[in-house]
Amino acid sequence: MKKLEDYSEDIYKCTKCGFCQAACPVFQETGLETAVSRGKFTLLHGILSGKVDFSEKIAKYLDMCLGCKACYDFCPSGISAEEIITAARAENNKINGINFLKKFIIWCFKSNIRLKALKTALTVYKKTGLIHLTGKIAGILGRWGNLIKIFNLQLNQNIEYTKLSAVKEKKEMKVVYFPGCIGNYVNISAKNAVIMVLEKNGVEVYIPDNFSCCGISSRSAGDFDTFKKLAEKNISLIPDDIDYLLTDCASCGSAWEFYPDLFEGELKNKAFRLYEKAVNINKFLETIDVYIPENVELKQVVTYHDPCHLARFQHVSEEPRSLLRKIPGLVYREMHGADKCCGAAGTFCVVKPGISQAISASKAKNILDTDADLVSTSCSACKIGISQGLAGMNAEKQILSPVELLAKLYILEENIDFAKNELKRN
Amino acid sequence: MKTQLTNIKSNIIGELKKIAGKSNVLTEYEDRYCYAYDATAIGEDLYLPDAVILPENKHQISEILKIANENKIPVITRGAGTNLVGGCIPLKGGIILHTSKMNRIINIDKTNLQCTVEPGVSVEKLQQEVEKQGLFYPPDPASLKVSTIGGSIAQSSGGPRGFKYGTTKDYVLGLEAVLADGSIIKTGGKTVKNVTGYNLNQLLTGSEGTLGVITLATLRLIPKPEERQVLLACFESIDEAAKAVTEIISAKITPSTLDIMDKNTMQTIEKFHQTGLPTDMDAVLVLEVDGFKESVPVQAGRIMDICRASGAKNIRISRSRQEADEIWFARRSAFGAVARLNPNVLTEDAVVPLDKIPDMVREIRRITDKYSLTVCIMGHIGDGNIHPNFSLDLRDKDQAKRFEQAAEEIFNAAIFFGGTLSGEHGIGYSKSAFINKALGPKNIELMKAIKNTFDPNGILNPDKIFARN
Repeated sequence: MKKLEDYSEDIYKCTKCGFCQAACPVFQETGLETAVSRGKFTLLHGILSGKVDFSEKIAKYLDMCLGCKACYDFCPSGISAEEIITAARAENNKINGINFLKKFIIWCFKSNIRLKALKTALTVYKKTGLIHLTGKIAGILGRWGNLIKIFNLQLNQNIEYTKLSAVKEKKEMKVVYFPGCIGNYVNISAKNAVIMVLEKNGVEVYIPDNFSCCGISSRSAGDFDTFKKLAEKNISLIPDDIDYLLTDCASCGSAWEFYPDLFEGELKNKAFRLYEKAVNINKFLETIDVYIPENVELKQVVTYHDPCHLARFQHVSEEPRSLLRKIPGLVYREMHGADKCCGAAGTFCVVKPGISQAISASKAKNILDTDADLVSTSCSACKIGISQGLAGMNAEKQILSPVELLAKLYILEENIDFAKNELKRN
Repeated sequence: MKTQLTNIKSNIIGELKKIAGKSNVLTEYEDRYCYAYDATAIGEDLYLPDAVILPENKHQISEILKIANENKIPVITRGAGTNLVGGCIPLKGGIILHTSKMNRIINIDKTNLQCTVEPGVSVEKLQQEVEKQGLFYPPDPASLKVSTIGGSIAQSSGGPRGFKYGTTKDYVLGLEAVLADGSIIKTGGKTVKNVTGYNLNQLLTGSEGTLGVITLATLRLIPKPEERQVLLACFESIDEAAKAVTEIISAKITPSTLDIMDKNTMQTIEKFHQTGLPTDMDAVLVLEVDGFKESVPVQAGRIMDICRASGAKNIRISRSRQEADEIWFARRSAFGAVARLNPNVLTEDAVVPLDKIPDMVREIRRITDKYSLTVCIMGHIGDGNIHPNFSLDLRDKDQAKRFEQAAEEIFNAAIFFGGTLSGEHGIGYSKSAFINKALGPKNIELMKAIKNTFDPNGILNPDKIFARN
C-alpha cells in the first residue's frame, strides 16, 4: 500500500488552478478552501515539507472529502485526490488515532456475526409487526420519522427469492457473485434479484459461504489493516478458475480494484486476476443479451442515480440506464446532476452529518424535479444517501436497483403465466 | 510547533466574529495556510493571512473594512483564487475576504438585457442561467468554471471571445462597492449610455482589489447567437497563420474567436490526449464563427478560402455540436497538458499589435532557447494576446532564475513591439516590478494619487500593481 510520502510528487504537481472547486460537493456546501483538493494538497505539502504539523485539525479537514472522485475529471494535472486523502487518513490514524465513530462502524462491518445479528433483527422487525407500529408513529418523529417511512417502504418492497424457470439454455461459464455485506447479510433483496435474474438467463451462480464485507469503508477511513484482512478472506474464498466475478453494489465492485495493491507475491497475482474478472452486473447483462419479457410491464417513471464507485471508479454509467430503458412500460427520465455524490459516502454521513445531509438534500431535489415514481441506483450505500435526502424533503420513494426492477418484471410474468395455466386447468 | 499565530489582536478578532458570525471568521494556522496562495506558482514562499472571513453581505464587509481601516490591517478580496499574477496573495498578511458565500444571482432582466449578481457567482453558472433565457454573457476566461464575477471584474478578465465581443469591462453597467473606510458606493447604473461624471465603473473594473470591494454588479447581456461553427486551420509556419489572421480581419469578417497554438503546444497535448492535432505543423488557428443560422456557413466559407490562400495545409470544420466540442476540447486541454509535463506552469500574458505577432513569437522562442526553458505558445492571436506557458520545476533554483530573466526579456520585447505587459491577467505582484517600464512616470503618479484618494491608509490589496520600493 502506498504511503502518504509516496505521493509527495503528485501532491507537489497541483498547479493550484482551483478547478476542483467546480466539482467538489463539499465545497459547494461549505465555500471553504480547506474543503477542496487544492487546499488539502497545500496542507499535505506543508506537512511533507515540515511547515505544518499533522494536527487533529488536519484530520478534521481530511474528513471533509467524500472520496467521490468528481474533482479527478477536472484536474488538469490528473491528480487522484481520493487516493492521496485515503493515504493521508492512514497516516493520521497513526498519529492522531482513528475517529471513534468510524472505528465503531468498521467494527460492526468487519464481523459477519454482527452483520448476521443485524439481519435477524430486521427479520424480527418485519415479521413481528414492529414495522407497522413504527409506521404509525413515524408521522410525529419529524425527519427521523420520514427516514423510518422510507426504510419501511424499502423493507416492504423487498424481493423474496423464488426459483424462476430459465428461459435460456444453461451457459457454460463459471460465475461467482460477490453480494457484499449489505446484500449478503442485512438486506438480501438486491442479492435475491441478482440470483433470480441470472438463473432466468441460464447463468448458474456460485456464492461461497462466509464472504466478508468488501472493506471499502475501512479503506476510506485509512484503516488498511482491517481492509487487508477482509480482502484476504474474500480472495481466498473464490476459486481461481472462474470466468466472471459479478458484483452489483458499486462500492463492493470497486473494492476489487484496490485489493491487488494490498498484497505481494501470489496473493497479489490472484487478487489481480480476480480484479480482471470482476464485472458489474449491469454491464454483464448487456453482454449476455438479457431476457426481457414482452407480455408484462412496469408502468412507472424512473430516474437513475450514478453511484460514484460505479460511474467514476468502474466507468459503468450507460449500462444501468440502458437496462432500465429496456423494461417495458418503464419511462426513464434523467435527473440533473445524476453523477453527483448522494452524500452518504461511507462513514462521511456519520462523521459529517450536516454537510452530508445538505448534499443528500440537493440530490433529493434533483430527483423530485424529475417527478419520477421511483429512484434506481446500483449501490447499497447510495440507497442510504438518497433515503436521507428524501426524508429531509418529506418525500417517500422506493429505491431499487435496475436488477431488482428486472426481477420484479420476471415475477410479474411468472405470476401471469401461472394464472393462465391455472385457468386452463380449470 | 510550526504554528504561527495571527497578528491581529484578540479583541479585534472578537469584533470581526461579532460582525460576520463566529463560523465565518477563520484564524487557525491550518485555515490560514490554505489562503496563502492563488493559481500563481510562487515556489516555497509563504505569505500567511492573519484571518480569513467569509462575509455574507455588504453590511458585514462595510463593518469589517471600518475596523481594518482604523487598525491599518490589509484586506485582500478573493473569489475562486484563480489569479495568475499573485493578485490574491496576502503579501503583508491581514484579512482575506473570501466571497464564496455571496453567490446569488439577484435577477436576470430579459427586457433590459441585463442581470444583477453577487460577486461570488461563477462565470459559468451565470452563463448557464442567462442562456436558459436565450441570452448571452460572452466573457470567457479559461477558468470560467470556477472563477467568479467579482474576480473577473476586479481583473477585467478576457478570454478567446474577446476578439468579437470584448472583455469583462465591456459588460459592466453598474457596480456597488465598499471603500476602504467602509462607505458603500454605487457607480454606473442600469443604462448602457451613461456619461454622467467620471466613469468610476471602469476605474473599479480592473483595479485588482486595490480601490474597493465589489459587492454587487449589474452586467450587460446580449442575445445568444443562434449557431456557431469551429474551424481548425493548420499552417507550416506561424507567419502564414498570422497572414491568414490579418487577411480575415481585412476581409471584414469577425470570428468570435481567433486562437492559435504552436507546434510545441500541440505535441504536448497529443502526449496526454489523442485529439488528432497535426503535430507536424508549426501552428494551428482555432476559429469560431457565430451568428444567425444563415450567416454562419457564409463566414466559415470565406474564412476557409482565405486560410487556403494564405497557405493552410489542412482545414477541419465542425459539422455538429459534438465536433465543435472536440476541437475545443483540444484547445482547452492545452493548459492541463503543460501542467502534466512538469510540476509548475507559469503563464505569461504579453500583448502586442496584431502585425507584430510573428516577430513576438520568434522573439519568445529565441529567448526561451537562450535560457533553455520549455515553452508552449498559445493565445488569442486576434487580440495580439499571447500566452507563453512555461513548464518548469521551481524547486530547481537555477531554472527559476532563468525563468525570471526570460520573463523580463519577454516584457521588454512586448514593449519594444508597441505592446504591453498584460492583456487579461493583470499586474498583481508578479509583474509589478515592470510596470514603470510600461507606463510613463506621470501615469504612475496619477494612478498612485487615485489609489491614495480611495484608500489613504493603503489597506486594500497592498503591494499590488505598483512597484515595491
